[in-house]
Amino acid sequence: MSICEKYFPREPSAPVVSSSSTGEASKAEIKTLDKTFDSRAAYFVADYQKSEGNYIADVDGNLYLDVYAQIASIPLGYNNPELIKTAKSDKMIRAIVDRPAMGNFPGADLKEITLKLLEFAPKGQDKLWSGLSGADAVELAFKAVFFWYQSKKRGYAKPFTAEENESVMKNQAPGSPELAILSFERSFHGRLFASGSTTCSKPIHKMDLPSFKWPKAQYPSYKYPLEEHKEENKREDERCLKIVEDIFSTWKCPIAGLLIEPIQSEGGDNHGSAEFFQGLRDITIKHGALLIMDEVQTGVGATGTFWCHEHFNLSPPPDLVTFSKKFQSAGYFFHDPELVPDFAYRQFNTWCGDPARMILAGAIGDEIVKHDLAAKAQEVGDYLFKKLESLQSKYPKYLQNLRGKNRATFIAWDLPSGDARNKFLSDMRAAGVNIGGCAEASVRLRPTLVFEQKHADILVAAIEKVLGSY
Amino acid sequence: MLRSVHRTTSAARIAQLAKRYSSYASSVFPDEPSVPQLKTEVPGPIGTQLNTNLGDVFDNRAAYFVTDYYNSIGNYISDADGNKLLDVYMQIASIGLGYNNPALKQVAKLDEMTTALINRPALACFPGVDYQKVLEDGILKAAPPGMTKVWTATTGSDANETAFKAAFMLQAARDRGSRDFNQQELISVMNNEAPGASEKCILSFDKAFHGRLFGSLSTTRSKAIHKLDIPAFPWPKAPFPALKYPLKDFENENKQEENRCLEQLEDIIVGKGKGNIAALIVEPVQSEGGDNHASASFFQGVRDITLKHNIFMIVDEVQTGVAATGKFWAHEHWNLSTPPDMVTFSKKFQAAGFYFRDPELQPRQAYRQFNTWCGDPSKALIARTIVQEIEANNLVAATASVGDYLFNNLSSLFEKYPGHASNIRGQNMGTFIAWDSPNADHRAKFLLACRAKGVNIGGCGEAAIRLRPSLAFNESHADVLCGIIENVLGEM
Repeated sequence: MSICEKYFPREPSAPVVSSSSTGEASKAEIKTLDKTFDSRAAYFVADYQKSEGNYIADVDGNLYLDVYAQIASIPLGYNNPELIKTAKSDKMIRAIVDRPAMGNFPGADLKEITLKLLEFAPKGQDKLWSGLSGADAVELAFKAVFFWYQSKKRGYAKPFTAEENESVMKNQAPGSPELAILSFERSFHGRLFASGSTTCSKPIHKMDLPSFKWPKAQYPSYKYPLEEHKEENKREDERCLKIVEDIFSTWKCPIAGLLIEPIQSEGGDNHGSAEFFQGLRDITIKHGALLIMDEVQTGVGATGTFWCHEHFNLSPPPDLVTFSKKFQSAGYFFHDPELVPDFAYRQFNTWCGDPARMILAGAIGDEIVKHDLAAKAQEVGDYLFKKLESLQSKYPKYLQNLRGKNRATFIAWDLPSGDARNKFLSDMRAAGVNIGGCAEASVRLRPTLVFEQKHADILVAAIEKVLGSY
Repeated sequence: MLRSVHRTTSAARIAQLAKRYSSYASSVFPDEPSVPQLKTEVPGPIGTQLNTNLGDVFDNRAAYFVTDYYNSIGNYISDADGNKLLDVYMQIASIGLGYNNPALKQVAKLDEMTTALINRPALACFPGVDYQKVLEDGILKAAPPGMTKVWTATTGSDANETAFKAAFMLQAARDRGSRDFNQQELISVMNNEAPGASEKCILSFDKAFHGRLFGSLSTTRSKAIHKLDIPAFPWPKAPFPALKYPLKDFENENKQEENRCLEQLEDIIVGKGKGNIAALIVEPVQSEGGDNHASASFFQGVRDITLKHNIFMIVDEVQTGVAATGKFWAHEHWNLSTPPDMVTFSKKFQAAGFYFRDPELQPRQAYRQFNTWCGDPSKALIARTIVQEIEANNLVAATASVGDYLFNNLSSLFEKYPGHASNIRGQNMGTFIAWDSPNADHRAKFLLACRAKGVNIGGCGEAAIRLRPSLAFNESHADVLCGIIENVLGEM
């Protein structure tokens, strides 16, 4: 019996899409909701109590195979029985009912909860600070980086000058220093003001918001299949690394940290090689800057390792690794004790995270390790990639730049245009598969970690059916 | 029990006692201690050991004591050594209904909660069938007068920053008129440059606290330690009135002070140039910054100026909201002629976000005010129960009434210790009461002495002490609190 069958004996064996349904119930619900809550981005209205495993139910009675899984944030399928147990545990009830201000009044069980999360820390990391969302995690990481950078100049735990104390209250240097985070074109790191300043995926994400004048380097654009373009892609790595090096040497203010996704997800599922990432690691060390790996979307098993950057075997490991989405909790891992700010109340806020979410993350991590779900994602990912490769030879126009080989189910490809992509996504839904896009014309697969070969077969059959009709 | 014994048992007093015994706390927390229970020092040996261990994995330097939440009840927080303290700080003003509230336990056990926790949706893309109803029965039911819409978020900082985004996007849309984004905007924004990246700003007040992420922190002006070493936007700040107490003795001076601040506010706005300030953000009571109050007429003045200059007015009710001031929202005390444009919330509501009234504050294009989770339905369920409990038990009025009682008792008490406590403030503002110690050292000693006698209490600003009890705080708790404060001041 497979893990999925064990968890979900009642999971549907195939999608159910009523041919007569035009989604009327969803449309009506969306209209009502929109009176008080912006619902224009809604695909459909879901019925989560009726969703099961890899299948999401909507209010019109349709059951879709879900390979988008709440924008890559559902790890173990809908209504996972082990998570139900966790949600009903006394520990969870307590965490929900009496949410602490963790920095001031940590609960007696906070160490145990934190240690559990640290069991799943990326190689080389042994500490964490928790937040509430991906953008929050990334900005908390920036704060740690800026505190660290200035304390290197000033001396760790050295007092602030009167000038710093005064200028900072006016948002002016030296108290509010001019420092930058370097990120990459096409990156996505969140939508608050600092994270938004490092995000560079689409204008609509950024338009009309003030931003810090921080620099952008270029992320490699590879040619696929990789094995046929080794030389060109190597040159592309070198070209991009040179740009990073140049920005470090010439930018108008010091760059305290470099922020990068192991795979740029919202920006089009763009990959970088292990050599490229090692190159970045070397440049940051050379320039006294920290390396922040944004694993909000790539983390927690979906690429075949618990954390995607573990594929790169970086030496030394990144300085900070941010997480959210599939972990259901958010925050960053780190290892340098001096990334704990030199004074209390610097990295601080009312809640400092949420024990309820941290408990859930611990349970998610336990299940992944217990059932070796990252390795299983790798197996099913390899199986799926091969099937998609053969489909690609049949429909090359609609499966361009197939990518994500050896990255488990973290697979994507391009369609000829944005319109063609959007039509494909909507046709897939009619064929019973809920699937997401990214960038202008890409399709990305973000199934759960309980997505198995039988689901891959259904997905491939649906793709073939849709493409066969084009 | 530390009850005052010298009161006469008048008819009114008997009625009051009857009210006390039927109070929310006594009905929902029958096992709540009637006085603090101290077994060891606070923190005791077990808590100290646990805190040392915790330091291996979690920055615990701000920890007051390690808490046993299982054994905390109602207004009493238990530490790891089993000491039970009357808590008038309540997780930095974020626990509304007391510890281990049975109504919250009940909702936490519902299947509705389980599914919300484990099937957390990307709300804007795949809203659940029940979200509209959950909002309607909870967060929206408590909407401030004039507000009909909400956008949900995860924390106070997040709530404020999403409100900023709404303000920036609508101001730019108004500048742009009917035209679409142009090429120059589309290209420059990807380089973080104008005109795509806005050069407009948010105006806040001196001593304000609005959060600690980069946009919210740029509006926070409470303490240097909150801000040092973090890049900030060069946004302006205006002075906030520094009132003299007691208010009735300084009516003229305070009026002048508020007028001075309003004049400066308008000067700053005019100095920035037309259209350069997207929004103004203000707390009804500046809480982290020292519990600084201003009059309804000051806030009406702010409202008039913002309207005159087409600046959105965001009222930050993260700390003041949810009944603690004797109104559900503190800004209801002002009776503004035009309601604020946005009201942000978090803390005691457990859910976070902002209310708004102008439908255009929802950006014209989808995916602009957007992120993966757009809030958290499990917290919306908690907020729903909080609203229902407040309503069913009349906790807004109860808090107003116990606040008056407490204010009067503290005022008479402080008259006896003029060198130790001054500027008591928060009259007619429920339990949202504060006063000043002569200096920060004195304040630290006072807070520690209170803890040693079984009251957990918090400070704010340079030398202020703030009361932030739960909504289940009643006159008997107020008596215990006043008794211990008197004890401590007597020994100082």
